[in-house]
Amino acid sequence: MNTFTSRALIRLELIRALRNRKFLFFSVIYPSALFLLIAGNADSTERISGLTVPTYMMVSMASFGALTAVLMGNSERIAKERESGWVRQLRLTALPGRGYVLAKTASAAVVSLPSIVVVFVVAAFAKDVQLAAWQWLALTGTVWAGSLVFAALGVALGYLATGDAVRPLTMIVYFGLSMLGGLWMPMTTFPQWLRDIAEWLPTHAYAALGQAIELGHAPGARDLATLAVYFALFVGGAAWLYRKDALKA
Amino acid sequence: MDHMTTSAITAARRTGAVLFDSVTKSYGTVRAVDGLTFALHPGETVALLGPNGAGKSTTLDLLLGLRPADSGTVEVFGTTPREAVVAGRIGAMLQSGGLMEDVTVRELVELACALHPRPYPVDQVLTRAGLAQIAGRKVNKLSGGQEQRVRFALATAGDSDLIVLDEPTTGMDVTSRQDFWATMREQAAAGRTVLFATHYLEEADAIADRVLVLHRGRLLADGTAAEIKAKAGARKVSFDLDTAVDEAALRALPAVGSLEISGRTVRLRSHDADATVHALYATGLYPHNLEVAGLGLEQAFVALTQAEEARTA
Repeated sequence: MNTFTSRALIRLELIRALRNRKFLFFSVIYPSALFLLIAGNADSTERISGLTVPTYMMVSMASFGALTAVLMGNSERIAKERESGWVRQLRLTALPGRGYVLAKTASAAVVSLPSIVVVFVVAAFAKDVQLAAWQWLALTGTVWAGSLVFAALGVALGYLATGDAVRPLTMIVYFGLSMLGGLWMPMTTFPQWLRDIAEWLPTHAYAALGQAIELGHAPGARDLATLAVYFALFVGGAAWLYRKDALKA
Repeated sequence: MDHMTTSAITAARRTGAVLFDSVTKSYGTVRAVDGLTFALHPGETVALLGPNGAGKSTTLDLLLGLRPADSGTVEVFGTTPREAVVAGRIGAMLQSGGLMEDVTVRELVELACALHPRPYPVDQVLTRAGLAQIAGRKVNKLSGGQEQRVRFALATAGDSDLIVLDEPTTGMDVTSRQDFWATMREQAAAGRTVLFATHYLEEADAIADRVLVLHRGRLLADGTAAEIKAKAGARKVSFDLDTAVDEAALRALPAVGSLEISGRTVRLRSHDADATVHALYATGLYPHNLEVAGLGLEQAFVALTQAEEARTA
């Protein structure tokens, strides 16, 4: 029954997400548009970390799109619904305590998949990015699975911030992680000191996983470890904040 | 007040709908609920009254498992509140119950039905809550009264045994309020236990079988509306006297609560007006313009809580 009850909420959360045009635009259309803008003027001989600019930026923008879908989808809604009392109302149903967070994350994950795939399709057809079939599949799976790290961060922010503070806070985290993690411009353009910091960000490790697949390599152990540590940190933080919130009622 | 005996607590644990046994809850230094003990029996309709800050909302939060008690036991149908909620035995309508936005009324009611272990058909829930006409409307485009009806629909989406309502008719106009209580009476007639907190004391007077009065986290009174009124010295007696007023003699009358003298007019409260008036004649006084009137529950409530304020001040 628990799976079933959670499913009803997931379904409704998804319907809502798909109805929200602004959210769909920023998570699905915007990353592809940004990709075309950045990759469009690139010199075809220019390479970043052994990849052509479109190939490199394709993973960056797919990661950026997935980040947008899961981070934005979770944090703001959770903070607002905590404040409005909807979360409290749900606690008066048979829905298991984690069901709410699961439903939010699941619906965000469903939106993040098209945001990844659309960037890939645009890159393949408009910028002629060519990869082996296994690389396309592995890329989609990796970028999608990696977005869970940021879904957990979104949940933590949603339980950390009040309804008023959540948007600026999320924006700072979102732009900070996107820019410094090298999703918008390659880190090779950064000064060395900034690069030293950026290398430790989860967004950098996230995009690096995809770029390793594009190069035909196995994902780097350090990147995997970095992401795993951040995932544990965000899930732990979210769980702690969630429990604190539940005691406050 | 009216402390339950150990055997009464044991009995309530076995057959009762709700049991609070010496429950305490503090926020920092503020003791919101202070050693509260009471039991609700299946099928009762009970009003929870109290001035602001009396601990009504905290009591409901504890009852619904939204907050843990610091000490004491809260049981609902012999289990913890959370277990009772998960088993679908409690349907609740919160004052601060926000609603999901960007979905239609029907979609939200469908969700509530899907989340209930023993749901009613969606259309039945919509009709009973008076939402059939606006089922296609977005939840965030409703008026305050319509939102209340949606909350009511969420609370009655399935076959629950206990219905808890926190200020349910706030924001409703008179007609919707009457419709609401008519529906609630059907729920009670079907054998459900109904507990509601309200600011409208006439609602408590008209609907509740039993009234619990909370004051500073304690139970100040527990009984039928008539008993509460009697307890508050709930008859107003007024008369004029020909002769000079002897205050001591008036105070000595039986059953007299408050006494107010202005010139030769006397106004007093009595919890047994018959005895007071009898004794008045027996003292040899001849009252003119004698009037005996009942107190409303509201006045009784004010009298009770003020007396308690004065006692503890």
